Amino acid sequence: MIQVLEALLFSTLEYAPALIFASLGAVLSERSGVVNIGVEGMMRVGAFAAAVAALAVPTPVGVLAGMAAGAGLAAIHAYLCVKWRSDQVVSGMALNLVALAGMTFLLESLYSPTGTPSIEQLHRWTIPGLASVPLLRGLSGHSAMTYLALAAPFAFHLFLWRTAAGLRLRSAGEKPAAVATMGISVSLLRTLAVLGSGTLAGLGGAALSTSTLERFEHHMPAGLGFMAVAAIVFGRWTPLGAFGAALFFAAGNALRIGLASSAPGVLEVIPQGFLLALPYVLTLLLLSTRQRQSGAPAALGTAYDPEAR
Amino acid sequence: MAEPNATVTEAEAPRSRLAEAIWASLPSALSVGLSLLICLLMIAVTKGSLSLAGNAYLEMLRGGLGDWDAFSETGSWTQLTRPWGEAATKAAILTFTGLSVAVAYRAGLFNIGAQGQMTVGAITAAVLGAKMSLPPGLHAAVCVAGAAAAGGAYAVLPAVLKLRRGVHEVISTIMLNWIAVSLVENWLVVGPLRATATGVNSISGTDQILPTAVLPRLLSDSSRMHAGFPLALLAAFATWVWLFRTRLGFETRAMGQNAEAARAAGIPSARRAVQAMVLAGALAGVAGSILVQGTEMRFPATLGAPYGFDGIAIALIGETHPLGVGASALLFGILRAGGTRMQLLGVHKSFPELIQGLALLFVAGRLIWQWALTRRQKRAPAAAPPAPAAPAPPAPTAAAAGGGA
Repeated sequence: MIQVLEALLFSTLEYAPALIFASLGAVLSERSGVVNIGVEGMMRVGAFAAAVAALAVPTPVGVLAGMAAGAGLAAIHAYLCVKWRSDQVVSGMALNLVALAGMTFLLESLYSPTGTPSIEQLHRWTIPGLASVPLLRGLSGHSAMTYLALAAPFAFHLFLWRTAAGLRLRSAGEKPAAVATMGISVSLLRTLAVLGSGTLAGLGGAALSTSTLERFEHHMPAGLGFMAVAAIVFGRWTPLGAFGAALFFAAGNALRIGLASSAPGVLEVIPQGFLLALPYVLTLLLLSTRQRQSGAPAALGTAYDPEAR
Repeated sequence: MAEPNATVTEAEAPRSRLAEAIWASLPSALSVGLSLLICLLMIAVTKGSLSLAGNAYLEMLRGGLGDWDAFSETGSWTQLTRPWGEAATKAAILTFTGLSVAVAYRAGLFNIGAQGQMTVGAITAAVLGAKMSLPPGLHAAVCVAGAAAAGGAYAVLPAVLKLRRGVHEVISTIMLNWIAVSLVENWLVVGPLRATATGVNSISGTDQILPTAVLPRLLSDSSRMHAGFPLALLAAFATWVWLFRTRLGFETRAMGQNAEAARAAGIPSARRAVQAMVLAGALAGVAGSILVQGTEMRFPATLGAPYGFDGIAIALIGETHPLGVGASALLFGILRAGGTRMQLLGVHKSFPELIQGLALLFVAGRLIWQWALTRRQKRAPAAAPPAPAAPAPPAPTAAAAGGGA
């Protein structure tokens, strides 16, 4: 039993960083008032860029390239949504479509249709004290991505709720006109938030291609970006809530994969499809039982027009 | 009769309806053109040859519009009808998912869920097509109707959740997409509905539908042009009539433009929202049935192309006007049918999807186009009358992206 839980813990922590980073990115953007359903696309370019860069340079530098690529796609989102007040959902979906087809095109023209060549995976750290403790052993042997992903949500919580910059960012998503009255640029705040969001989504993508696996595969991130959107809704637009939801969804996925490989008999009773649908069903149930208090920022999705009265 | 949403400023001489239509579709046309140009350059850069890129585009057109050179050499009609068939089957599906998104958008709802509704429709059509026995024609029609009903029913949920619980439809439809895909593709199709293995080959997907449920081919057996294409054209026209020539459609659009004003005018907005969403779901469901009954003949292991998401691109590039949707679906149907031929030159067959995605991105920057176009006109005031303040039908941006609250 302990061994099963240990394996589950280990594979949850392998799978979770991508989802956690992407969720934090989405929280950052949406807290500033900009809907970001382009997370899926930003993860995709991040995963691709990181793997491609890591073919030439050390993998940690490749991760930086992935973050930069995510931020690059986010820059388009920010330009369209903040400067030109475009429909944020349309822009996000457009970026998803561009990233999906664009990376497929680049992958096929540069490498092979299925994926890039293998790269050197990020270094796995063994934690000396834990490596011999039953159960907690599952915490050891991960890459820096995992440990960063476990710490980052707390840092973001402190940033958003304990710093002036965090307060301003949240205000831009609740009442942008009030922020502008204080003489602070709503556009700048939102642009920075969206760029940060893309950087994090790119990091999440990079986690997939450099840490979870050791190459970019053609279907990455296979809907994880949308799952991140589910995670922030589930977590009521807070970093810690999204963190919890992301961990929970990742554990569900680890359980499903673990069952498929070690106990296929169970999947005869509970089909895989049920387990795959579970995060979305739960999010929908949660939304439908919580009467009009989703925790979403008040100005989410509305463009801020400084000249409007 | 002037359309209620076409703004005409006082200073401006009334334009003809054709000029209005051209003006309104200019941002989309320019977006598609710019996207085509950028993508051409992308092939040229990655392949290191501009002429190869040009040839790839020619192949794409041949694959969608017919290989006229081969036709004039051999006189074989198949060189034309086969590409037409491929383009028409793709255009038909894109028209339906595009209409689905467009109808909801006009009612102020953003239907991201066409993919899920289409999946539900497709599996319904596949089951009805394989398990029922009915006379030819009627069987096919029952399958299409069943798919429409399933898609419509699946779309009731986001509408009700929005009205009763204030759940934003963008979020609920994203969730419902993945629920539908997970349950259908990872449970039904691999479980209870898996094809009964006949012979040595185990087939993936569901049982093949009966010949009576197949949409009839229109040109010849070698072309896949089937009854779904005229059906799609008809649907685009009918949706136009419904939206722009009936009271119900007017009320739906009024709600999309200003929900408060519509309510104040006595329009039963909740009922209209549910109706629009059901219609949107039904249209997406029919897209699924056309894929099953016209192309795949079964629910395949996976639906393949994300036609539901493509519907968002098709709808917005078509200015969410039913006839514009038909036009943009036709254009991208042709390009995407030609994608397979581009593969001969080493360009991935999904390349037209990149063109489509970029075009949507440029359409999303609608205000940039309007600014650029009106600035040109302001510079030469003698040459042209001042541009209207809002040349295109105002998109229900605020209502569509009204936040997750």
